[in-house]
Amino acid sequence: MKLLLVEDDKEAAGYLKRALSEAGHAVDYAAAGRDGLMLAAGETYDVIILDRMLPEIDGLAILRTVRASGVQTPVLLLTALGGIDDRVEGLEAGGDDYLVKPFAFAELLARVNALARRPPTQEMRTELTAADLKLDLMKRTVTRGGRRIELQPREFQLLEYLLRHAGRVVTRTMLLESVWDFHFDPKTNIVETHMSRLRGKVDRGHGCELIHTVRGAGYILREPD
Amino acid sequence: MFRSTSLRLAALYTAVFALSVVVLGVITLISTRHALSAQFDARIRAESAALVQEYRSEGLKGVVDALHERDSTPGSLDFGLQGPGGAPLAGSLAATKAAMGWSSMRRAGDAHGESERLYAVALPDGYKLLVGDDDERIEALDGAVMQGFGLAFLGVLVLGVAGGYALSRGVNQRIAAISGAAEAIIDGDLSRRVPVRGSDDDLDRLALTFNRMLDRIAALMESLKQVSNDIAHDMRTPLTRLRQKLEAGLAETRAGEAPLEGVLSDLDSILDTFAALLRIAQIEGGARRAAFRPCELAVLAQTVTEAFAPSAEDQHQSLSLVVEAPAVIDGDAELLTQMLVNLVENALRHTGPNAAITVKVARAGRAASLSVADNGPGVPDAERERLFDRFYRLERSRATPGSGLGLALVAAVAKLHGAEVSLAAAQPGLEVRVSFPEAA
Repeated sequence: MKLLLVEDDKEAAGYLKRALSEAGHAVDYAAAGRDGLMLAAGETYDVIILDRMLPEIDGLAILRTVRASGVQTPVLLLTALGGIDDRVEGLEAGGDDYLVKPFAFAELLARVNALARRPPTQEMRTELTAADLKLDLMKRTVTRGGRRIELQPREFQLLEYLLRHAGRVVTRTMLLESVWDFHFDPKTNIVETHMSRLRGKVDRGHGCELIHTVRGAGYILREPD
Repeated sequence: MFRSTSLRLAALYTAVFALSVVVLGVITLISTRHALSAQFDARIRAESAALVQEYRSEGLKGVVDALHERDSTPGSLDFGLQGPGGAPLAGSLAATKAAMGWSSMRRAGDAHGESERLYAVALPDGYKLLVGDDDERIEALDGAVMQGFGLAFLGVLVLGVAGGYALSRGVNQRIAAISGAAEAIIDGDLSRRVPVRGSDDDLDRLALTFNRMLDRIAALMESLKQVSNDIAHDMRTPLTRLRQKLEAGLAETRAGEAPLEGVLSDLDSILDTFAALLRIAQIEGGARRAAFRPCELAVLAQTVTEAFAPSAEDQHQSLSLVVEAPAVIDGDAELLTQMLVNLVENALRHTGPNAAITVKVARAGRAASLSVADNGPGVPDAERERLFDRFYRLERSRATPGSGLGLALVAAVAKLHGAEVSLAAAQPGLEVRVSFPEAA
């Protein structure tokens, strides 16, 4: 994937650029807001990673300009401001996701991947599938190998999120935000608990497991090769 | 001296009173004089009428006799009788020239220049009768009135200045006491308070308000100090561990191993503490109130209970929700959720296995409440108050993980919503109740 990183802290940017390249991405880098703006308007990227607090031009101002010029590239905002209002403001300015510093690199990578492969048009799908697992969005039912699986509402949402991001790592915070709408970090392992129940229902008794734990990062739903 | 407000006020009042005395004096003088002149004129008129009558009945001789008799009576009016052509005949005014009717004149040769009020009337046969009254008595009365008011004026001035001085001295002393206390506090003596007399007057109330403000400032300073100490402790402990692990990690890396995972978790705990502190500060700043929307507490409570019930079950605890009545309040759903999560996590963490935790949404009239009760070991009475302080942890909980900021955040969110947090023993266990104000 081709990424644009706009970040004024050279050391952090250098580290991110190297790590993203190692993860197989091509990274363009701009330290100043103006350069970032030029690149964002001129080139085509899969995802733009934009620091919110930049010298000269505010990251949000760049974002608004980019959006106003019709660029639809997904934008992941990075910020040291963790307030609720800051997040809402960032999303309203046209950001697609928001990550508060400091963060684990795995978290950034998972979010970049989730953003990049978002289908360009939100086509109406009524069924999500992976191998012999079927999730019917209309009837709200789940079957595996033709056998019905009874899920709690949150478990259904968890599975739906995993299926929509099949093949990509989803992190614990991504799940907390999208399934529970919790924008803070509970001390209790609620994601793990719900996930282990979901896996018990979806994978137990089946020869191949679909949901996997990715150490230090999160979970992934993957079709067997 | 005149920079004292009370003295200036006293001077102003004195001036106003003195001026009133002068105005009152002038009015009294004018009206007394008016009344007296009318009375004297009436007397002159009556006398002249009597003498005219005398002339008619007794003739010239009768009038002359009457004049002589009157002249020898002290305190009587002045008279004069003139013959035809103005020849003086009798009485002290016999030589005085005056037109007919009312007139006034200066008595000739009188050093004081006393004036005389005259009334001239024609007698038959060309005779002319003059009746006059010197203004001496009116002037004497004027003098008396003026003297009276002059004394009153002086009295007002003396009393005003002396009273004003005394009053302003009293007020100044009390203001000096307040300002002295403030100076002492500026110099660092935070325990100083403004003296209160207990008279409940305006200055006393000011002093009381001032003292309450000082109590609040002192409490804030104390909590700031406490927080700095706590931050120092709670940040340094994991930072020390971090350093030790990094050292060990470096040593082991040289030896071919890389056990740096513990380092990350220590770092994360420091960052968590930081994030919680910042968030509490942000909430206490109160800026979030703009984002208030109607929230259904029952829905919010259900989300949280459902999220945590499986974790509770895994620890052999039970978490249940009781909705006595739906309760919509104006608030920040995200913060309220976090508040409830903190309360539930607190209950889960500090009660043992087999504990039953109940989240309850209730409403009394228009006031909603949200409570979390457990049947765990509870909290000793003495420690309850401090539970909501930042970093406060029960002695027995020191060993369990947690930042000690959870309940401080609960308190901050509740305060932002105008809600009250109360702790009660729940026979056994602890019940934390957040009571929201009545909906508008």
